[in-house]
Amino acid sequence: MILPRNSKKSQRRGQMEAIGLVIIVILITLGMLFLATFALKSDSQKKIFTRKGLSYSAMSAVMKTTVSADAECFAQGFGSGTPKLGADIIENCVKYLGVNDPIYQCRGPISEQPLHSCDFFREMTEYLLNQTLGSWNKRYEFRSQLISLGGETPIELVEIKVGGGCPPVKDRDSSGLFPINTEAGLVENVLFLCD
Amino acid sequence: MAPNMGRKGQMQMTETIAILFIFFILLLFGIIFYFRYQQSAFQEKQEELLGVRAMETTLKALFMPELICSRGEAEPEDNCFDTLKLDSAAAVLEDNKDDYYFEIFSYAKITVHQVYPEEKEWLLYEKTKPGSTRKEPTFFVVTLRDELSDSTQAQYGFGYVSVEVYS
Repeated sequence: MILPRNSKKSQRRGQMEAIGLVIIVILITLGMLFLATFALKSDSQKKIFTRKGLSYSAMSAVMKTTVSADAECFAQGFGSGTPKLGADIIENCVKYLGVNDPIYQCRGPISEQPLHSCDFFREMTEYLLNQTLGSWNKRYEFRSQLISLGGETPIELVEIKVGGGCPPVKDRDSSGLFPINTEAGLVENVLFLCD
Repeated sequence: MAPNMGRKGQMQMTETIAILFIFFILLLFGIIFYFRYQQSAFQEKQEELLGVRAMETTLKALFMPELICSRGEAEPEDNCFDTLKLDSAAAVLEDNKDDYYFEIFSYAKITVHQVYPEEKEWLLYEKTKPGSTRKEPTFFVVTLRDELSDSTQAQYGFGYVSVEVYS
């Protein structure tokens, strides 16, 4: 088909504009791809490993720790040996919950006063976690609750939140539930860690 | 040639040069951006590799038979170091640092800290890399079993292990 001279010129111009448009589209796509790579970058392997491992190890260590003789739990006449935080103290706490004179009245590491087992458990946990996770500027949340045998609403024993805690919307890892069977029911302990 | 045509040609030429100039500027920006990105990606990769090494070294330290709480043939306790072992491990690790432990830990520093009942520290291994620029610390909370306490049962202290690897 023979086109007039002007028409040929405008066709070439149209082609040029189309090429320009394609280039712009390609550039925008490339930019978007770069942005997506930055935005979708997941947490590093080490970060996840540290968060998971640290929450589990911290929780297991807190539960295993025995109260030292300095806390003078002995003096309150609870027998030989020193109590284990995740066993004797918790058990005593739920057994004498709401009672002013429980068997164990150990001296708290922060207040240095004889405390009810529940308060002592909270103070000890707070102290231990603060000396480790707190000193590394980690945000964490520790919760301990009693699920009584009657199946009523769980009773909150201890709740420690540092740096605003770790709500489910944040990237967090949990130690998993550390259940302790006691005479009063099941005590569930959990530690959440979010950087 | 008509003067009008010449001016139009000049105009088109200037237009083409301007477009080419902008194009090359954009290309230059693109290249600079790409190289910057590559540079940071390379650094990130290096950091990631260092992080992986830190993880591996920490795991090796946590499960070292020389340190872990064991009782006869029973399963060793997780995240637990025996203070009796810790007391003598530093000397053993130092004596065999180059011919055995270097292959396991490479350039690193391993320290165990006790925070409860009293503050205490054991420096188990240290091998610094000459000219090292970066170090990656990893912490893990552990219990410290003390079999020599006055109590009839073993006492468990609270502490942490700090592993620093050098790049």
